[in-house]
Amino acid sequence: MSHEFYLWMSYGATAIAVAAEVVLLRVRRAQALARVEEEKDLEAQD
Amino acid sequence: MPAWSYLASPATFYGFAGRLAPWFFALAAVLGAAGLYLGLFVAPTDAQQGEVYRVIFIHVPAAWMSMFLYFVMACYGGVSLTFNTRLAAMMARSIAPTGAMFTFVSLWTGSFWGRPTWGTYWVWDARLTSELVLLFLYFGFIALANAFEDPRRGDRAAALLALIGLVNLPIIYFSVQWWNTLHQGSSVNLRGTTMHKTMLAGMLLMAFSFWMYSIGTALTRVRAVIIERERRTHWVRGLAGARA
Repeated sequence: MSHEFYLWMSYGATAIAVAAEVVLLRVRRAQALARVEEEKDLEAQD
Repeated sequence: MPAWSYLASPATFYGFAGRLAPWFFALAAVLGAAGLYLGLFVAPTDAQQGEVYRVIFIHVPAAWMSMFLYFVMACYGGVSLTFNTRLAAMMARSIAPTGAMFTFVSLWTGSFWGRPTWGTYWVWDARLTSELVLLFLYFGFIALANAFEDPRRGDRAAALLALIGLVNLPIIYFSVQWWNTLHQGSSVNLRGTTMHKTMLAGMLLMAFSFWMYSIGTALTRVRAVIIERERRTHWVRGLAGARA
């Protein structure tokens, strides 16, 4: 295989890993805030 | 009140981290663009390996970050164990996923560099195996930190594992000297380098980019961890209300 395959597999995987981490960071913060909202709503119902 | 004491409060640190993180991401993007430009377009072709050596511009910085982040994570773990500080434990938790990601990138890119140069994707040599152990240590830390109902118990157990795992860092670093490995020795050390200066500049720029990125992600993640852990406090409830 040509060197391009190995370079693309390396750089491509790194780009995907970084992009995935950034997306997961945003999702985690949104989920954490949603959970706080949920608990507030449940307490308000009680 | 000294600054470190003021910032040790999760409520204060939440805002501080939110203000700083975008700057670190911006710095990471600028340094990364410069490093990739130097590495992919300016640095000369390697006389022996040809173009495939350009994997070095992510492989080596990722490997450096994998060890450095583990060291910082263990230090935070040690501080949280010694002084029983909540924020230090939260920082250790926030660094671990990024450290694991860089360890994976280091192993992955190493195998795609190894295939054309060594003829194999993987070999159980001391450097590769000890780096794989580092990945398992990160996984163990993350799993242990989340294995307990009481997060403070998880903090203590994970911090202990992180401190014990520190012994693996010198093994990784010196493995190429202590054992006869297929992996090459260090191209850069405190005594100097054997690399062309453009290659070195590209690699260092990428290393600084990964470093800034790691700070940015740790600061962003710790904000989520603070919300999760402090969700019953008034200030976090106000925060969620303000966003709704």
